[in-house]
Amino acid sequence: MSRELPLAGRFRRLVATLVDAILVPSLSLVLVMITDVMEDAEDYANLDLMLLWIFLLAIAAYMILNGYTLWHQGQTLGKWLMGIAIVPASSHVQAGFVRVGNEGKSVYVPAPFWKLIFIRALFFPVLFLWVVPWLALLPVLDQALIFGKRRRCLHDLFAGTIVVRV
Amino acid sequence: MNCLTMARRVFVSSGRRMPLPVVMMCFCAVFFTRVVVAECAALDSQVGFESSYAEGWGIDRRNTRYQPRSTIDSGNAAGLSLKWVYGLTSRTPRSYPLVTEDTIFLGDDGRGIVALERETGCERWIYEHDGQISSSILQGWIGEQRILIFNDRNDGMFAIDAVDGEFVWHAKVEDEPAPWYSGSPLVLGDTVILPVSSKEVGYSVNPIYGCCTTSGGMAAFDINTGEKLWYIPTIEEIAKPTERHWFFVQEYGPSGAPVWAAPSYDAKRGLIFFGTGQNYSHPATDTSDSIFAVDVETGEVRWVRQFTANDAYTAACNIEALNHPNCADPTGPDVDFGAATMLVRNKSGRELVLAGQKSADVYAIDPETGDVVWTQKLGRGGIIGGVHWGMAANESLGLVYVPISDKKIVGFPSPGEPTPGLYALDIETGARRWHYSRDSRCSDLECVFGFSAAIIASNDIVVAGSMDGILEVLAAESGKRLWSHDAWRDYPSVNDVVTSGGAFDAHGAMIADDLLLVSSGYSYVGQQRGGNAFLVFQVEVKNEP
Repeated sequence: MSRELPLAGRFRRLVATLVDAILVPSLSLVLVMITDVMEDAEDYANLDLMLLWIFLLAIAAYMILNGYTLWHQGQTLGKWLMGIAIVPASSHVQAGFVRVGNEGKSVYVPAPFWKLIFIRALFFPVLFLWVVPWLALLPVLDQALIFGKRRRCLHDLFAGTIVVRV
Repeated sequence: MNCLTMARRVFVSSGRRMPLPVVMMCFCAVFFTRVVVAECAALDSQVGFESSYAEGWGIDRRNTRYQPRSTIDSGNAAGLSLKWVYGLTSRTPRSYPLVTEDTIFLGDDGRGIVALERETGCERWIYEHDGQISSSILQGWIGEQRILIFNDRNDGMFAIDAVDGEFVWHAKVEDEPAPWYSGSPLVLGDTVILPVSSKEVGYSVNPIYGCCTTSGGMAAFDINTGEKLWYIPTIEEIAKPTERHWFFVQEYGPSGAPVWAAPSYDAKRGLIFFGTGQNYSHPATDTSDSIFAVDVETGEVRWVRQFTANDAYTAACNIEALNHPNCADPTGPDVDFGAATMLVRNKSGRELVLAGQKSADVYAIDPETGDVVWTQKLGRGGIIGGVHWGMAANESLGLVYVPISDKKIVGFPSPGEPTPGLYALDIETGARRWHYSRDSRCSDLECVFGFSAAIIASNDIVVAGSMDGILEVLAAESGKRLWSHDAWRDYPSVNDVVTSGGAFDAHGAMIADDLLLVSSGYSYVGQQRGGNAFLVFQVEVKNEP
């Protein structure tokens, strides 16, 4: 269907990750403030419920910021800014309308959305585990694989995806 | 690897035969170790309880922290020597032991209540409890059943059987959403009095928390069932919305006035006395930094005397970098009554409530009216004192002993010159009789000399442990140092736990008969050396022919 897209550079991926790592928690914080889920002593009295709410609000923040672009282009906001995208490792085709053959006909190729949300995005909070000593190895392992030939981190391997320049 | 194996390796590797004396010594060492371990393993779990050496945190219910049942005095204190050391799991030990004729009960965070044989430190039984045991351990009765009562700092008050450590009841204060059980309870017959502070002082560090809605208080429970009898908040007014910060976060007030310490009991008047801390948010109330007198039967407040007005402060104020929105403005000076009050009699028989404040002020108060009889300022004060945990009195000498911390806290202004040490004041007039001080052992923050821990008196001595890890026995009449022990070291422990000493802080030392007992390593404020040693010293008492 299309030629193989070039792999995204490690620097672009790093910057994209940093952008996401600032935007998503920032919006989560705003949502937590708006919804008052940890604003008084009563909230702390039901600590499990409070943590569940924060978790759900963090997912909501991720989806608000990245849901549309992930669905249509396989990109988070950070990746969109850096001109890179997530594509299936098997097809190497970015989501969206793709020209087929010589007649100029286009077909719509959806992103592997469920994989991006339910497998790949699950690794996003892993980035923040640096502060937990016995869990710090997980983000190290995840990120260290970027130095492999195909630049596929642990989350890429789990989701069957690859990050390319677009 | 035991002694025998090690010695054999040394000699075999050097091509020599092991000398007979070495073989014999090793056999003795192995035999001794096994016998001691076996003795501990076979220890009778039965606890003797014919007598105990404290009625509560304050030794007596008036909180004088004077131990009348002791043989340690100025004549023999120099002969105190380490008897045994128990290695705690906690490195912030904050439990105060209860001693009987053959057992020592002690709280150890993460393990529970341990009943140790007094002679050896071997464990008789353990009541497993996975929380922070923060109080003294008290005894009480349910009919014929003797029970122990203690606080889990986060989870409330627990009662267990004193003989076998079986669970009896668990009580909490449901009136407040964020209670903190820092102060030790007080058992008065069928009633247990429980001080309550509030965790909001810490929650407020979170900048998206809207400080604050809760207050401290005092509660009474039925000792038979753990049912609540009454509860009084130290602030009756319900907190209302005040300002907002960061557009969305609603702030509230008034709040705070927590109760950090055990109450003192006035049997004649049927009253308890206790102090409160600062407000957490504005508007400030007239019950913060105050002394309360409350009727034990009904919970009715008889009088309240405030000593510092308009004092609002939370832990958020320690985070200067954020210009923290949960730090009250105007701020501080955070001069709680963190130490327990005491009811004493002067030499002419007049009763006085004595209260020491973190401002380093000491007050004598008329228990009937709340009127101030005398005041004495002893240091510059600060957020960990001034007077931090508690004083002691020797009524026969007419003296009250006041430990002053005056420690500077990083990131918080401490204006004025510090004057840490131990002060003896005349109970009748408040006049200074003597002052003990010494230099810090080095210039690092953890080396700073000062007395934050509560102290204890007995016979003609006073015992005080300092934040730089030195335990000292002073002569009660002169302040002369009679004995000291440096706890900045590792100890071999009876329970084979890697054990080291650190700062002396929190509830301080206990005295019982010929024993001096103390936990070392309280580092909760994070600016002094942590440790996990429970030290038991013994004085050699020479019997008269």
